[in-house]
Amino acid sequence: MQVFSTIKLVRVLTFITIVLVVFSSISSVQAQKFTLNGYVKDASTGETVIGALVFVSSNPSLSAVTNTYGFYSITLPEGTYRMKYSYIGYADQEFEVLLNKNTDLSVELSEGVLMEEVVISSSKDEKKRNIEGTQMGTITLPVENIKKLPAIFGEVDVLKAIQLLPGVLSAGEGTSGFYVRGGGPDQNLVLLDEALVYNSGHLLGFFSVFNADAIKNTTLITGGIPANFGGRLSSVLDIQMKEGNNQGYEVEGGIGLISSRLTVQGPIQKDKSSFVISGRRTYILDLLQPALKGGDFEGTNYYFYDLNTKWNYRFSDKNRLYFSGYFGNDVLKLNQPKRDFTFSLPYGNKTGTLRWNHLFSQKMFMNVSAIYNDYKFEIDGGQADFNFKVFSGVKDWNLKVDFENYYNTNHTFKFGLNYTYHTLTPNTASASNGEVDFKTEFEPKYANEYAAYFLDDMKLGGKWALNSGLRLSAFQQVGPYTSKISGERFGKFDTAKLYGSIEPRVNLNYKATSRMSIKAGIAYTTQYIHLVSNSSSTLPADVWVPSTEIVKPQRGVQYSIGWFRNFLDDNYETSIETYYKDLRNQIDYSDSYVNDIRTEVEDAFVYGKGRAYGLELFIKKSRGKLNGWIGYSLSKTERSFTGIEDGRWYPAVYDRPHDFSLVANYKLSKKWDLGLIGIYGSGKLYTPIRGFFLVEQNLNLFYGPRNSNRLDAYHRMDISATYTPKPSGKRRYAGSWNFSVYNVYNRKNPFFISFDTKTNSETGSSEIEGTKVTLFPIIPSITYNFKWNQK
Amino acid sequence: MRYNQFIRHLGNMNIKNTFGVMLLFSICMMSCQDPYFPTTLESEQEIVVEGYVEAGASANPTFVLVTRSIPFIGKVTSEKLASLFVKDAVVVVNDGQKDVILNKLCLSEIPPELRAQAYELLGFNPDSVTLDLCIYVDALNSINRKEGGKYDLTVKVGDKTLTASTTIPRFVGLDSFDFRPTPGVPIDTLSQLFCQINDPGNSIDYYRYFTATEGNGLIAPFSSVTNDLFFNGKKFEFPIAKAQRRGQGGDFDPSTFGMFRRGDTITIKWCTLDRAHFDFWNTRDFSSNNGGPFGSYTRIITNIKGGLGIWGGYSVGEYELIVPK
Repeated sequence: MQVFSTIKLVRVLTFITIVLVVFSSISSVQAQKFTLNGYVKDASTGETVIGALVFVSSNPSLSAVTNTYGFYSITLPEGTYRMKYSYIGYADQEFEVLLNKNTDLSVELSEGVLMEEVVISSSKDEKKRNIEGTQMGTITLPVENIKKLPAIFGEVDVLKAIQLLPGVLSAGEGTSGFYVRGGGPDQNLVLLDEALVYNSGHLLGFFSVFNADAIKNTTLITGGIPANFGGRLSSVLDIQMKEGNNQGYEVEGGIGLISSRLTVQGPIQKDKSSFVISGRRTYILDLLQPALKGGDFEGTNYYFYDLNTKWNYRFSDKNRLYFSGYFGNDVLKLNQPKRDFTFSLPYGNKTGTLRWNHLFSQKMFMNVSAIYNDYKFEIDGGQADFNFKVFSGVKDWNLKVDFENYYNTNHTFKFGLNYTYHTLTPNTASASNGEVDFKTEFEPKYANEYAAYFLDDMKLGGKWALNSGLRLSAFQQVGPYTSKISGERFGKFDTAKLYGSIEPRVNLNYKATSRMSIKAGIAYTTQYIHLVSNSSSTLPADVWVPSTEIVKPQRGVQYSIGWFRNFLDDNYETSIETYYKDLRNQIDYSDSYVNDIRTEVEDAFVYGKGRAYGLELFIKKSRGKLNGWIGYSLSKTERSFTGIEDGRWYPAVYDRPHDFSLVANYKLSKKWDLGLIGIYGSGKLYTPIRGFFLVEQNLNLFYGPRNSNRLDAYHRMDISATYTPKPSGKRRYAGSWNFSVYNVYNRKNPFFISFDTKTNSETGSSEIEGTKVTLFPIIPSITYNFKWNQK
Repeated sequence: MRYNQFIRHLGNMNIKNTFGVMLLFSICMMSCQDPYFPTTLESEQEIVVEGYVEAGASANPTFVLVTRSIPFIGKVTSEKLASLFVKDAVVVVNDGQKDVILNKLCLSEIPPELRAQAYELLGFNPDSVTLDLCIYVDALNSINRKEGGKYDLTVKVGDKTLTASTTIPRFVGLDSFDFRPTPGVPIDTLSQLFCQINDPGNSIDYYRYFTATEGNGLIAPFSSVTNDLFFNGKKFEFPIAKAQRRGQGGDFDPSTFGMFRRGDTITIKWCTLDRAHFDFWNTRDFSSNNGGPFGSYTRIITNIKGGLGIWGGYSVGEYELIVPK
């Protein structure tokens, strides 16, 4: 019943969307006000600036923020205004604007340059953004800031940087996987230029798939996900790629211990179109190939590579087209020629996003996106006549349209529609031995996912602001499919199962003073595609599964409240946020799960519920010679499954009560930049062995309650120094050396523990040995980065 | 890479181990290992039951071992093992018609020449064990053992009562055997054994096997059970690996593992078992190779109510073969 009304609601919302478009266009004509709009760009590269603040100098509450495409629009009564444009790291721009008609004004900001050791700081009002905005638990990290942090093996990594934020936990030593506020690793919506990235890690997650050279901006939303995002319960990680310098050619790269990178960007037609192509590849085992030749492991290799590209073309001020693409792969080859044994394991993502920006009016911005993404995982191998292959993957076709209406300085509306066609291939195995063939007969699963949303970011007058939104979503499992329950056969596009959801999202801001505000939010979220891992960490082999007649959608609701306060001339931003999360239809494997390629994973699932609550403290200093942040979270995360220990509430594997991080950058001189990271977190949970029992003369393990023991606490410090021999910004060629030391005091953090039993039948005795394995000791690394531009 | 290994453990052993290899390739120079001692858990000892009821031409007599579990400790000696055997249990089996009280038989009380046989039956290596242990056995063969039979077990230890139930399913035997050269570069002293089964299609069958060479005791391989999901109702050929005693790492050589020595006389014991019995071995086999960085724990599914272990019915067949020179 609810499902059908949801579908109807989607239709109604489509209609409303059209009405809103028409209405917005008319209203802009009727008003006695005029609109100032345009783009904010970087003066030297022509890259649009995301999140820049545009406001009236004399009354900063009359303000607008540039969107993902650098567009802003502000509607004011007729008059003369002193407009200010401000963004962190850039020098402010101020203009006198006579607003007696609708005006297009695109503005270029120059990067803040060092002048006699004083960094030009951005406007004070820009600093107050965390007080003014309705959004909670949202942090934007420009990639330039991430690049200054110490990095293991010198590999700059966006995902490892966000793990340093409060509420975000690392999935394990060295990995780019992360958990947000008690949510599972599959509950994060990871977007690269709007394309969903199903597997964000290389080499088991030790490196993220995001090449920092190709990235412009990273935004993480952990609390109160706004209605324009959906499909995941816990967080949104929204990553935007660079558009490419439209002023001159630029070549940038780096040579590191693990990999090297090269990025080329430039104008196709100056001011009108540009491109960027960025590649990265590891080579450490390529170098070993000559040594393996003729040996037992000839041909064995491992590498990964990424290729990012983006092209854009500006037809006019009103129309712009973008294409972004990502291709990345991991390839492992294990060969033993003497045993006639081969094994290869390639996996990777492909994404493509085609976007069209259109301005209906000065206030009405539209973006249409067509997105394709594809994640494939494969294993091929064999010995002599025997060959086998395992394949799994996810493929999506996604069409979406998003509107932004800058109605007036008190209301910004967003609304849009989203449609995705999913194809999910479960683990499909085949094996052959000469003429005999075996194959698992699992069909891919197909589904349509629909969503429609509307949100209004409004200033209620006085001290109140409200961001309210509604997202309606539906998920339709379609054929070809044979029901496991009724045996009914569904033909192509026939509905096998339909789910729907109404997801209200509300954030309220009470600005008590110009430097202090209190915010509260509620967000309902639904997730239709799931990834369940029975490992202590997720692996590329873990399979994404859709909601079906058997697997229900995961649902969550998060309540959060926060206090935001700026100190010392707004140079220090602080916040305290608390949250409570209620999770339904959570999925896991049972305690006695046996991984068997012949059964579909969904048949081995157990279902339950989860809850998480916590407190997060955050102190941030964005400007000055010394900047960085301190984050601390205190949290608890629990799960309960009827199929696991009779529904007992147990701490989830993501439960780490204490998590502290310190991030600092210090500009020592023109030539030297120093960075420091300090981390302390509670140890990982594990299920302890209770003892052994004897069967068939062997000692077999039996276990205590799930996740009832904790490993030693995790802590570590990393430092870095970046040396730029010739820092003048005017040079065509600039090089810099980055020296990093990971785990400075060589802390032996436990990576995992294992137990082995050794039976000696000669003496009739058995030995039980526990081993703690530590992964990364102190690791120094050096990277050379260079940049050439045409200028 | 052999079929049954592939089929049974692709998801687990191979994929995870491959990742382990990747990991080692990239970071073995750096990672380090230290002994780890977990905080000891206060735990009451559990009662463990291990008993089998078999039907078929070469069926063993019905017996039950009753032991106590061992809390986490460093070393288990043979004295320690011997002390685990419960000598004052009352063990009763109901075969659907009558209760049969099993007789306690302590190995120190039987003639030495029979003792070796008894050790072998229990799965111990008769050359090396001098345990004085007691078992409960249907010495007079009073239990009516047949395909399709259901057998209820009751074990009383002090004031504790443990119960379990099992069945003996229909027997599905092996059809033919074929010895072939070892894969890759052939090793002329070894041979690989393939056998064929004609699986009946109308229901799921569960299988387990043991091997013995040159008159030594029968041992189950590391991956000892399978069901017929892949070959239900088909004629199916698969390799049989020579089983190796567990817990004796060190002498594992992947190029000779599972191969039979040419000229040896070997015995294959082939059994069918029911679902609960299969689940026990399936989770047991899986749990013992599920370690490593990405491993998770596996709780072994027991059919014993009130304790740990297994009460399992088998339909058995034995085949004696000579590996051609």
